[in-house]
Amino acid sequence: MITQLPLALRWPRRQRFDQFFPGAANAAALAIVEGAATGGNGCVYVAGPAGSGKTHLLIAACQAATDAGLSAQYLGLRHVRGARSEAIAGVGGSHLLALDDVDLVTGDADAELALFATYNRYLDAGGVLLLAAEALPVALPVQLPDLRSRLGACTQARLVALDDGERRHVLQAQARHRGIVLDEVVLDWMFARYPRDLGALLDLLDRVDRASLAAQRRVTIPFLRSLLREG
Amino acid sequence: MSELWRRCLERLEGELSAEDLHTWLMPLQAREDINGLHLFAPNPYTLDAVREQYLPTIRGVVDHLAGREIPVRLEVGSSAPRAAPPRPASSMPSATRPSEPSLPVEPEYAHNLDPHYTFETFVEGKSNQLGKAAAMQVAMNPGRAYNPLLLYGGTGLGKTHLMHAAGNLIVANNPGTRVLYLRSEQFVSGMVRALQTKSMDEFKRRFRSVDALLIDDIQFFAGKDTTQEEFFHTFNALFEAKQQIILTCDRYPKELDKLEPRLKSRLGWGLSVAIEPPDFETRAAILLSKSHDKGMAVSEDVAMLLARRIRSNVRDLEGALNTLAARANFYGKPITTDFAEETLRDLLNTHAQAVTVPNIQKTVADYYQVRLSDLLSKRRVRSLARPRQMAMALSKELTEHSLPEIGEAFGGRDHTTVLHACRTIRGFCEKDVRMRQDWEQLIRILTG
Repeated sequence: MITQLPLALRWPRRQRFDQFFPGAANAAALAIVEGAATGGNGCVYVAGPAGSGKTHLLIAACQAATDAGLSAQYLGLRHVRGARSEAIAGVGGSHLLALDDVDLVTGDADAELALFATYNRYLDAGGVLLLAAEALPVALPVQLPDLRSRLGACTQARLVALDDGERRHVLQAQARHRGIVLDEVVLDWMFARYPRDLGALLDLLDRVDRASLAAQRRVTIPFLRSLLREG
Repeated sequence: MSELWRRCLERLEGELSAEDLHTWLMPLQAREDINGLHLFAPNPYTLDAVREQYLPTIRGVVDHLAGREIPVRLEVGSSAPRAAPPRPASSMPSATRPSEPSLPVEPEYAHNLDPHYTFETFVEGKSNQLGKAAAMQVAMNPGRAYNPLLLYGGTGLGKTHLMHAAGNLIVANNPGTRVLYLRSEQFVSGMVRALQTKSMDEFKRRFRSVDALLIDDIQFFAGKDTTQEEFFHTFNALFEAKQQIILTCDRYPKELDKLEPRLKSRLGWGLSVAIEPPDFETRAAILLSKSHDKGMAVSEDVAMLLARRIRSNVRDLEGALNTLAARANFYGKPITTDFAEETLRDLLNTHAQAVTVPNIQKTVADYYQVRLSDLLSKRRVRSLARPRQMAMALSKELTEHSLPEIGEAFGGRDHTTVLHACRTIRGFCEKDVRMRQDWEQLIRILTG
């Protein structure tokens, strides 16, 4: 008899809990999401500005749940083609569901209703619902009062954007992780182009990684310029 | 899982993102036979997503792995009866597609009351004591006292709690009693599936054979004519057999648009009780009770701080408490008022921000369709005086401002005028249903 090994498909390598740099302000949020991913039930609402690490925490939670033998799903609402309500209703059945960009359901009556139903399903079944949005529930212009009050009941994990020093630290660490040398001049150049969004900077780093490997070149400003021109 | 499919997924890992794989491909079930590989999607949305975005890739990989052409068929359904992974048990509202057609159509009897929701764990206050008393009476005399019992009021005020408490007490008094609780969406989706699978007789029988039927949030029946029709007949059957019906709704059902008049009139046969937003003392008591249940050490000072600042509904109180507990746990700190203030600063500020005197004035003016400038003017006609008094009373209720400050904000009026307004409105709310509804509705708008 062939023993079937459990399938443990990898979530993106960059977005793990141990790769999350909490800085001075985000350690509690990290702990809350980490706790929910493997040991919790109920709803955790991750709130923070763009680039503060919401998606990172959601994907990391999916990975941790998968590692613990629990099923996990991730749905980024900004990537949904077609009706968001149908996408929200279409996911489910997992132990942990991570819904990103929840801001995008507001004002869409069908999507709000679908999220309301999903919330009820996961909480009834003792599953874990992880939601992420820029605004806190109380400041989110949700039309359906039933949904708004349920979002208010979630445990909130607040993220703040890292400061410049912390973001440099993350970028350097991620670069070292990939075996890329980024000197200060190159870092300055990158920060001048992506002043706020760490996610965008890390995406750029991924591209730089692939391109420098393919071209066998050191990462310099002329190299970055040519790379971005091509993109 | 089919071995071929397992290998296919492993191969796809290199080609697709993990989000795509886990979210859309992992939920597929697979069966392999001489006709090829059959993939079963849990719902039509997943089917479409897979067909449009991933099927060509899947076909390529499957053929490659098998070394020959293998037909791949995709449909909605389930591969075979098998040990299901833990999955949510309830169903979807009709606005969305049923996502788990393989689940049993009806929820189980007598097993779906939440044992935590009892009368003992319900925190009573002025805002809900009538609702609690009515629910207890109904539970003591099911089918006899009030039928139907309809609890209405804003979301997150405890209607569901009372409903479960009544159900639990009915079962405790008569252990054999069949009590069925469900959300209105479950009734709707159960019926949609019964229609699809031509099992309406079974559906009718199940609902009509219970001793007590508890349906939550019937406002979602609005505009769903077939559902209303079926519910109407279910209602009649239960009513005639003196089986208890308990319903909740987010507003007074007579005010619900798109609800059939004959159903509205039936709903009025029994007793309709409003559950109002809890007052300050009740909010504080709820916080202390919930923190006790969670094993948290929360002082009265902290409870009062949160109760003063969060007025919207009980779920917001609970969310604040959960967040506080998680943070205190992480930092290993006791929950003092300073810690609560610091931890929940954003939350409390957002709540406070939402309710300012200018905001109240504007909302009240919009609500009564008068001009803001008229509301703040010295004119004393009735059509303006009442909304003005309402706005003043709301300012006193919902903000931390003193009477003189509020008077100042209303065009420089004396603090005794504000005090008089508060008393007048309170008096009206006790006597006049219409006025009380305006008051509650405005509080809901301003705090929700």
